[in-house]
Amino acid sequence: MKERLSCYERLELAWNLQEADRVPVAPVNCYIIPYLAGISIRDMFYDPDKLIAATIKAREMLGGGDNIDPNITTLNHLSMFGRAGWDQATLDWRIWDDFPPKGNLPSLFEKALIEDYDDVMERGFAPLLYSKNGAQAIFTRSIDEFLYYEFEYPKVYAAAWRRFVEEQEVPLLMGGRACHPLDMLQYYRGIANLTQDIFEQPEKVKAMCDWLVEYETTMAMRDAMIMGAGEVPGAEVIFFVNGGPPGMSPRIFDEFYWPTAKKMIDIFVTRGFKVHCHWDNDLTPHLETIKHMADGLPKGKLLLDLEKTDMKRAKEVLGDRICIFGNVPSAMLVYGTPEEVDAYCRKLIEECAPGGGFILSTECETPWDSRPENVRAIVQAAEKYGWY
Amino acid sequence: MGKLSDALAVLDKPAVLAAVQEGIEAGTDPLQLVEEARLGLEAVGREFDKGNYFLMELLRAAQIFKDAVALLTPKIKERYGSAASRGTVVIGTVAGDVHDLGKNIVRDLLQCNGFEVIDLGVDVPAARFVEAIRQHRPKVVGMSALLSAAVTQVGRTVEAIEEAGLRDQVRLIVGGGIVGEVKRNMLRVDHATTNANEGISVILDWFGREQA
Repeated sequence: MKERLSCYERLELAWNLQEADRVPVAPVNCYIIPYLAGISIRDMFYDPDKLIAATIKAREMLGGGDNIDPNITTLNHLSMFGRAGWDQATLDWRIWDDFPPKGNLPSLFEKALIEDYDDVMERGFAPLLYSKNGAQAIFTRSIDEFLYYEFEYPKVYAAAWRRFVEEQEVPLLMGGRACHPLDMLQYYRGIANLTQDIFEQPEKVKAMCDWLVEYETTMAMRDAMIMGAGEVPGAEVIFFVNGGPPGMSPRIFDEFYWPTAKKMIDIFVTRGFKVHCHWDNDLTPHLETIKHMADGLPKGKLLLDLEKTDMKRAKEVLGDRICIFGNVPSAMLVYGTPEEVDAYCRKLIEECAPGGGFILSTECETPWDSRPENVRAIVQAAEKYGWY
Repeated sequence: MGKLSDALAVLDKPAVLAAVQEGIEAGTDPLQLVEEARLGLEAVGREFDKGNYFLMELLRAAQIFKDAVALLTPKIKERYGSAASRGTVVIGTVAGDVHDLGKNIVRDLLQCNGFEVIDLGVDVPAARFVEAIRQHRPKVVGMSALLSAAVTQVGRTVEAIEEAGLRDQVRLIVGGGIVGEVKRNMLRVDHATTNANEGISVILDWFGREQA
């Protein structure tokens, strides 16, 4: 058996497509943390000290893991505009105090905010901010409050997580979040309108995607810098969210999604960041395109976090190019048994771990109502079957 | 398949609308034109099942179909008074869940297939489903559920329908990301799926069988 590595060293080797001491394990625990620790979702979003205390408590209940999600959606949500699809200035996000059945998870109420792509490309965010369909929270918050959450609060938030990383010796899952522009357009136009646009005004959709690249990459890198990229382990990772609209055919993926995705990945990596692509849905039909993700880039900078994709096939196609991450099903975590989770993880490890470049995790994220023993079974499976 | 259905099958909206216009001008029965468009929609569904089309193509086909029907509706009303419905389906996303993409796709596809759809929206309490069954007398009730917690809500809704004594009057179908992956006996519904096209086929089958 190899010498036992730190969590960060173990993850680094996986990113570099090498075998570590054992397979890294990193369930994406997010809303399950406040739920298990007994704090409200509102506290999770507004009180970093409470969130971090809850994280420590929940990690004990869930068996740990090699990194931790610092919930950068908080920064996105409290910031001014258009940050990774989560801002409250334009988008109608609703945060409840309680979990179901009394409350709910934060939810986006979709509205068509962009009516004219040219107007947005010409005037920037003004048409979004002043859209009659907008959330317009900016008009209910004081300028002082907005400025505080845009410029001061991120530093307070980052300092709290820096202390966590130093004390717990557990790296962050990410330092900043970015959304693919098609995802942003899904939020700003609605999926039905976006589908229509892709077929009826394809060049406008592509131009709008291009327009969003600079803003979205810059904001994500800014957050990662504030979170301590280069100093705080894991803060150098940009969490590049989602796979665009669900159900893209290979033609739409190759023509509308992929060129912008690759452009953003290249920007992040050439500026010194690593990219964790958190791409939902079943991407099996697109693996032949995705295998070019690392073209022209140094090794060890990319990770692909898959939800419904066939992991065995992903390993075959991508194994010598990109680290893959995933994918214990959500339904199994909520309704299955530890034995079922154990068997699923064992199979994943057998199929994906040989040669390195695999991190055992959840699909998308751990549902808040998962059985804690099922989440522990993921971590235990890495200890049981994951030693190289 | 004719010109209209062929155009819809390849998602060519201008050609579909031109074919409809041509048909109207030639005095073709508007219901025949609707039927022809529906054949095109079925062809899209078959391509989806074969893996040649994906969800966005399915959504696009429904959009084109609806645009075609919008041109034909005045003609149908002129000739027949009102369009005949294949039957009524009540649909909604269960309590605690506000996702509507899947529900809206199924709603649109049902409408394209000639059903009257009562859309209760999102975050629908069990009592509202019960009330809608009493009011609209549907043959089928569709529940949409994406979140894991929504599975419990599906159970509560089924329970409420049972308690109201309405369970034997309706078929229950549930669709969405999570529900297709849990064990069927947890849901106590007649069908569960993650696939919109499959859901439509099942509902068509139910109506077909009952009409036969």
